[in-house]
Amino acid sequence: MPVTRRQIVAAIPAAAVAASLPRAPAMAQDGRKVVTFWFAQANSDGQAALRSNLVDAFNASQDKYLLQLEVKGAAVNNLLKVALLAGNGPDIVQTSGPSYLTGIANAGHLLPLDDFAARYKWKERFLPTLLNTGVYGDKLYALPRDYESMHLFYNKQLFSQKGWKVPANRAEFEQVADAALAKGITPFSNGNADWKGVNEWLMTVFFNNVAGPDNVRKALGGELPWTAPPFVEAVELSKAWYNKGYFGKNYFSLTNEQSLLQVVNGKAAMAWNGTWSFGTKSYGMSKPDTAMDVVPIAGLSDRVTEPLLHLACGATLSIAKTSPNAEGAAAVFEFMLSRKFYQDMNRDWPGKWALPVRDLPPDLLQGIGYPLFEKTIVSLHEAFSKGRYGFTTWTFWPNAANVYVMEGIEQVWLNRITAEAFLNRLQTVFSQELKEGKVPPLPPRSA
Amino acid sequence: MWMFALPALLINVCIILIPALLTLAGAFFLWDGIGTPVWAGLANFQALFADPVFWSALANNFIWTAIFLVVPTCMALIMAATLMMVPHSRIVVQSIIFLPRILAAAITGRIFQGMIFSPATGLVGWLNGFGLSIADPLADPDRSLYAVAAVDIWHWWGFLAVVYFAAMRQISIDQIEAARLDGAGFFALLRYVLLPGIRPTLVLMMILTVIWSFQVFEFIYIVTQGGPAYGSEVLATLAYRQAFFANDVGKATAAACVMSLFGLAATSLYLWLQIRDGARAA
Repeated sequence: MPVTRRQIVAAIPAAAVAASLPRAPAMAQDGRKVVTFWFAQANSDGQAALRSNLVDAFNASQDKYLLQLEVKGAAVNNLLKVALLAGNGPDIVQTSGPSYLTGIANAGHLLPLDDFAARYKWKERFLPTLLNTGVYGDKLYALPRDYESMHLFYNKQLFSQKGWKVPANRAEFEQVADAALAKGITPFSNGNADWKGVNEWLMTVFFNNVAGPDNVRKALGGELPWTAPPFVEAVELSKAWYNKGYFGKNYFSLTNEQSLLQVVNGKAAMAWNGTWSFGTKSYGMSKPDTAMDVVPIAGLSDRVTEPLLHLACGATLSIAKTSPNAEGAAAVFEFMLSRKFYQDMNRDWPGKWALPVRDLPPDLLQGIGYPLFEKTIVSLHEAFSKGRYGFTTWTFWPNAANVYVMEGIEQVWLNRITAEAFLNRLQTVFSQELKEGKVPPLPPRSA
Repeated sequence: MWMFALPALLINVCIILIPALLTLAGAFFLWDGIGTPVWAGLANFQALFADPVFWSALANNFIWTAIFLVVPTCMALIMAATLMMVPHSRIVVQSIIFLPRILAAAITGRIFQGMIFSPATGLVGWLNGFGLSIADPLADPDRSLYAVAAVDIWHWWGFLAVVYFAAMRQISIDQIEAARLDGAGFFALLRYVLLPGIRPTLVLMMILTVIWSFQVFEFIYIVTQGGPAYGSEVLATLAYRQAFFANDVGKATAAACVMSLFGLAATSLYLWLQIRDGARAA
């Protein structure tokens, strides 16, 4: 039968509507409905943990759904966007945190999770502070996969040998750093040769621990410009420390792994690094903790008198609006909340899947066998539960402002532009994104 | 007759023309890559031109072009001429100099970054161990572009030498022998016989070098990611970061349009030269 031009014209909107409708779920050979999940980066240990603790364990736990996980690598955020635009993404949408989630949620590509949250009581089981990062327009679009913070990683053997004490303020940090430099030891070992994000790790600390988390929150809410004096002081201090050599001669040459190893082997005294570092065994973080210790970072001005943790959500989990198997995806999320999954995952890949559950009884952490990690998680949980935290750039800054912090700060450190010029540009980029509604939701100051 | 061209034409329209037009259109919209595009007129170009990083990236593209028009071209011409005059070992030498070309850019980049320039694991660090004070050029915003260019030249010049050598072999051996009998040395032979003999190939490769230099991305992104402090930033790395990290697809496509303008200019020059040569020959 010949197809008329009118039929072709009529078919176009029909095809467009069909593309936006949920697809029929794929079926496995044994009749189970397939749930697809794209994961970002995972080292070999992480991939093994994902296969055994998540995929195999979930598939063995029930007979209705079959979880299929693909590790897509660093480009997963871009792949996801293209796939979601085409209505062909995975059932489970994992993003690299609220900064990435905001655009996808605002564009309407995600399924509100409120019905599932009510059924499975997720709102009662997640820490509200973290769960709030997935709420847009009163609807829950994402669950937090983990919580993270910047910490002071230091070589306790070296500190004890040199008679240094853990710095409790800016003056003490500078005292230890100067003493280390005098002995040819790098004060803070960091390196961004493989990941420019190290710049924003450091700036997260400077912004929060110098300007204070309240000022940062005001700036993120548009109540205080980034050009305000507390932020100028923060950027100036970062520049002064870089130029004094506190971050070593090879900041731009070392990888993150190489830089942290320098602390472990005593060539450097300290590092400002994140809780995700626990997940990489090659860092040499010895499980009996003979060489290393990890503590929250002390305040660096009169505005911050207590050590501060920095609220971060390293990944969010959502369900695609066009998912043919939303029930299966929700079942996977519910499985992740099981006690066994929490313990197995944190034992095999510590720091990567520290699910921010509301109740964290001491015995939940038992069996992980990593005292330093357990201690850190307990302190994170306490700080985030009580609303005592700073704000990380990769969780609460909108994309363009975040990228500018990451890239532009190098110009300040290398004396290409002034701190004021850097902050002026940051304010311009940020205010545009604030106007466009691209700033991720801010959690309340108290839980 | 045009039906014969139809399959190729269709492929080109679908794969090149439509995406190119969409990219051009994208430069006039505000779009985060996932939401609804909003008409912005020339705002993306205004934002791009107001960004000092754009101008330094553009300047770096010009520096890169100048480097690649001179350094690998000279190295390749000298090597090709040498191969012409020293026939033995041609195959071995060609294989050796061509080898870097078959290595993936990611591998070459990581070799230089980790095994040559790194003060922790590379040659630079090893030399520093002997008391020499050599800094990692990749860590210096004034030298990083040149250091990455050196990596790309290592990867590229052998290929160019093989292309020029193949072109030189098309020159009549009588011309070369006659020049030699007249007492022409190496550089005289190169200047008066070999270079004029391969002029069309030389022009084509130089035009392509200009086009490729404005598209350069992979070595810079792998080795320095455009840093430090935007020291090795070029238009392609700027566009990539704007599109995929800052989620400003409009500004990224505006940068891509500027890149294309230079490619278009180089292509137009090549076509003009061809037409001029064709007219002269007629």
